Amino acid sequence: MQVHYDWRLARILNDDGVVIDEILWNSSKSISSVAKRLFELKKGRLSNEAKILFDRFDNVKIHPQGHLDDPNWPEYSNEERELFEKALINMAKLGVAESSGNIDRRMDMLVSSANEIRSAWTTSESRCIEWIGLFLTELNLEIKRKNIIETVAFCDTIQEVATSLETVSPLHTPAHNEWSTMKKHCESVIGLSNRMSDHEDSIRLLALEYIPSLSALLGPLGASKLVVLAGSRERLARMPSGSLQVLGADAAMAAHRNGAPPPKHGSVLFSMPQVSKSPRWVRGKVARYIAGKASIAVRIDHFDGKPWGESEIEEIFKEVKTIIDKFPNPPKRK
Amino acid sequence: MAASLLRTKNDPSEMLPKTGENCLYLGASIGGTVSHIHDCICGSGNHHKGHILAVDISPRMMRDLVQLCDKRPGIVPLLADARSITELSPFINKKVDWFHQDLSVADQAKTFVKISEKFLKSGGVGLLSLKGASERVSEGDIKKRFENAEKILKDSRLRIIERIDLRGLEEHHILFNCRME
Repeated sequence: MQVHYDWRLARILNDDGVVIDEILWNSSKSISSVAKRLFELKKGRLSNEAKILFDRFDNVKIHPQGHLDDPNWPEYSNEERELFEKALINMAKLGVAESSGNIDRRMDMLVSSANEIRSAWTTSESRCIEWIGLFLTELNLEIKRKNIIETVAFCDTIQEVATSLETVSPLHTPAHNEWSTMKKHCESVIGLSNRMSDHEDSIRLLALEYIPSLSALLGPLGASKLVVLAGSRERLARMPSGSLQVLGADAAMAAHRNGAPPPKHGSVLFSMPQVSKSPRWVRGKVARYIAGKASIAVRIDHFDGKPWGESEIEEIFKEVKTIIDKFPNPPKRK
Repeated sequence: MAASLLRTKNDPSEMLPKTGENCLYLGASIGGTVSHIHDCICGSGNHHKGHILAVDISPRMMRDLVQLCDKRPGIVPLLADARSITELSPFINKKVDWFHQDLSVADQAKTFVKISEKFLKSGGVGLLSLKGASERVSEGDIKKRFENAEKILKDSRLRIIERIDLRGLEEHHILFNCRME
């Protein structure tokens, strides 16, 4: 015997396909009640009617797809079809609304937005420095770089900037509109810096809550970048540590597929001083070790383990130092 | 889909669903192609009484697709993993006449066979838009990936009517036009 069911009814059929019993869903049908039922069925659960029939008889199987091979299964009436379609639209709208509760998506928005701001800041800051440098030809653009943009933003004329930065006055001065545009561009760079700080503060708060162990190990910004690169915390937690080690090294991985040596680390691990400040011949070893620990950390975070504290992190960094000290000299070339 | 209609050596209308038919579209995205299929099977206001179940996993795509469904009766949106039989079956009341799979994931041919064998009626049209770049690199180059997919289709209950190479119109894409036995 087999139970056939959908959201409207359930039937039990004997081995010859004869209907033995049938229960209809008799409650008042609204769009939301149909949506609720369909939502349960989508999770692979049985309808109440199917459960009752299943319990009522012995040696009963459940049709794995509800009823699909049943030639006598009733088609939707016009009313049922309309209710079903409206319920699905409601379910889709609810699903879209629920996606804002997904922390992975919110982290992705924050990190991607921060990356875009950083990129915009780098381009605009370089442009502003070059622009001012065109007029203030004696100004040392390297030493004074950090002060130039703020100075322009707070001065009213280019001569005032020259005086403030202790350099000679320009031979040619920008026209009034040109100066005003330059000044506004510098102000926008300062605005971008402030927005960058706000973004990073938000990322830190979210990461410390969502991935505390990984944040303790890699820093909240690095940890959240890894989650975004992997696609979600779950995907990162299920990823082998070898894949985590090279996250962010897409170009090097593509080259590796064409015969180049494999990358030692991705961009996030390289941003850690334990990797980037180590001698190049131990970077791969350190990156591999940290990737292994990061892999454990994210699994602790995702599968509700006890978050790592300072003592665990200290121990890991002590081990990193041991690895670095173990290989003081570069390997001999073969 | 449009590229395959241009490239097919058979009658292009054989690939399209007929008016009033029941269709399943996996990987509907924001519903660009789905709206054209809707023109074929439903007509304005769905006076032909056709039905399309448009499935996508992305809430971002679903957001736009829902708006399309509001405007075009007959298209029903479903936010679900198109690879999961369990997630799809409560929404399919009877086996479909026409099925198109357009997913950017690995194992496209296996998914296509699995879904077709469950939900496509005998004699129904199954179209697989195969994206070589979405398959695993470990399977080999693009040509090898297409060969693997074709072998999976040949070993199934589906009959390949035509393999349409879309090179020049859509790179690294092939469309398999199949019928369920």
